[in-house]
Amino acid sequence: MITTTPTEDHRLARIPTGVPGLDDVLKGGFFEGAVYIIRGTPGAGKTILANQICFDHARNGGRALFVTLLAENHARMLQHLEQMSFYDAAFIPKQIYYVSAFRVLEENGLKGLMDLLRREMRAHEATILVLDGLIAVEETSTSDREFRKFIHELQAHAAAADCCTLLLTNGRRGEYHPEHTMVDGLITLEDVPYGKRRQRELEVRKFRGSSSLRGRHPFRITDDGLVVYPRPESRFLRNDATGTQQRLSTGIRQLDTMLNGGLIAGTITVVIGASGAGKTTLGSYFLGEASKAEPALHYGFYESPRQLIANAAVLGVNLEKKIQAGHLRIVWRPPVERILDSLGNEIIDEARAHKVKRLFIDGWGGFMASAESPDRVPSFFAAVANELRSLGVATMCAIETPNLVGPEVQIPVQGISAITENMILLRFTEYQARLYRVISILKARGGSFDPTLREFHISERGVELADSFESAERLLSGTGVRAPRIARKPPPARASRKSKSRRRG
Amino acid sequence: MQTVLIVDDEFGVAEVLQSILEDEGYRVVTAINGKQGLARLSEVHPDLVMLDFMMPIMDGTKMLAAMRADPSFADIPVVMMSSLDEASVRESSTQYTVFMRKPFRAAQVVQLVAKLLAR
Repeated sequence: MITTTPTEDHRLARIPTGVPGLDDVLKGGFFEGAVYIIRGTPGAGKTILANQICFDHARNGGRALFVTLLAENHARMLQHLEQMSFYDAAFIPKQIYYVSAFRVLEENGLKGLMDLLRREMRAHEATILVLDGLIAVEETSTSDREFRKFIHELQAHAAAADCCTLLLTNGRRGEYHPEHTMVDGLITLEDVPYGKRRQRELEVRKFRGSSSLRGRHPFRITDDGLVVYPRPESRFLRNDATGTQQRLSTGIRQLDTMLNGGLIAGTITVVIGASGAGKTTLGSYFLGEASKAEPALHYGFYESPRQLIANAAVLGVNLEKKIQAGHLRIVWRPPVERILDSLGNEIIDEARAHKVKRLFIDGWGGFMASAESPDRVPSFFAAVANELRSLGVATMCAIETPNLVGPEVQIPVQGISAITENMILLRFTEYQARLYRVISILKARGGSFDPTLREFHISERGVELADSFESAERLLSGTGVRAPRIARKPPPARASRKSKSRRRG
Repeated sequence: MQTVLIVDDEFGVAEVLQSILEDEGYRVVTAINGKQGLARLSEVHPDLVMLDFMMPIMDGTKMLAAMRADPSFADIPVVMMSSLDEASVRESSTQYTVFMRKPFRAAQVVQLVAKLLAR
């Protein structure tokens, strides 16, 4: 009987791409000795991507061979690459070698090209081979069969040399490409129109040997090369809520009481209200409780950090001190044209990097403005929320309602209740030619909560919540004889804080 | 008529150089790698070689070393061409006469070749 003992690990080794986000999409990178097609229209970013991978590979001690079959000459290409931060001339020619095989293909056909690739792979001990211009091989082939034979032979050489091979092509044939069935992976790069804007998107259509993140992942071409933003809906699939019952103060004593002790760690709270109703104020109070044990993050689209700090200071909340102590970070992303996926990934990366326990997102509208389609935002938010729960982050997100005053509350998000544990509603109500604010809790995880409506006030004294529902009842029913007043005793939350003026919500 | 041998693997580069130099009245011969370049060298005995640094099969450094080792070609002036800067090229070879960085301009080429061939 013959027995064999495994003496080595036969699992395929990975070659990280070094492209931010792409290794997450590929769950670790390409496989050694495998052949991949990278397909995209001219200008899609194929050549930059391949060079970026080569330079990262060289930086990690690998060797790359870049073979072009197209018209763009190396001098021009390198001139363009010099603008990119990943470019380092020190790697050329010892670790990255550029050759043109156009003439060889013209003069000696596919056999001549194969000989060149095989010899150069060996001569330069390449562990990555890039063939830029697969379309030229296709055009030179007299039949699909001959083209497939070339790919097959190249695969055999790449596997024998443990050389990961990237074939770049425009893919003129539409969807049918016989070579796609043969290679180990297919990645497409596209520039997709959404109304008047366009978004670059990367998709892994095939990836042998491993799963990958499904769907179209947006990417940007920056001065640092490509940056891929994995789709949160495919990246954040776990829902490992910690199950803790630890409560975090909202920063407002009466609201904590209504919530039976505060917000539970790892839950998602939406604060719904019209413009100026006090959503950002609530968020500032929540962040004002940041501490070493509960690091906080403000992720906002509207107010600059300076404005935010100044507005909070007026209410007596010293965010600057929290920032200086390293307990609070403010990330401001003005609502210009952005990629929704980049926002979701950034929030999670920030939460992980800084072990955030309190997060205020201001607000939902920033996601809506960045989304290629508004329908996508709820599922996007659900994915991000899942990951935040798993990280144990108590998250508060502001959602603006369209109607300023009135009995009807329009929540501009379908199905928000299903993806959040807590919902707080801020409303304006009119009474005797004045506007008053009313707060109520629609939903809260962790059992009982006070469902009554409470009048609240944002004033020089900060936020003051009525200790009972009576004033709110009078306001909403319109039956009050006198102007409703908030009970001044017991003192409101943060009564010691001195403030100067009102502020918007 | 003076002869210039251009050795470059990239499509377009040799063609452009050839047309520029032929317009100036030179005879131009081309090769697409160092191995082919050495063969042409024996055939045409050029007055000047314009040599690409990175090429398949045999690169510019190796071809230049072979040239300098052969007394028949040791004194032929060589213009080393590369997309890299000269410092990167000098790490591999210093046996060339002049370095010319790609991409280049026609006037620059004409001036350089005329100077090297003392026209």
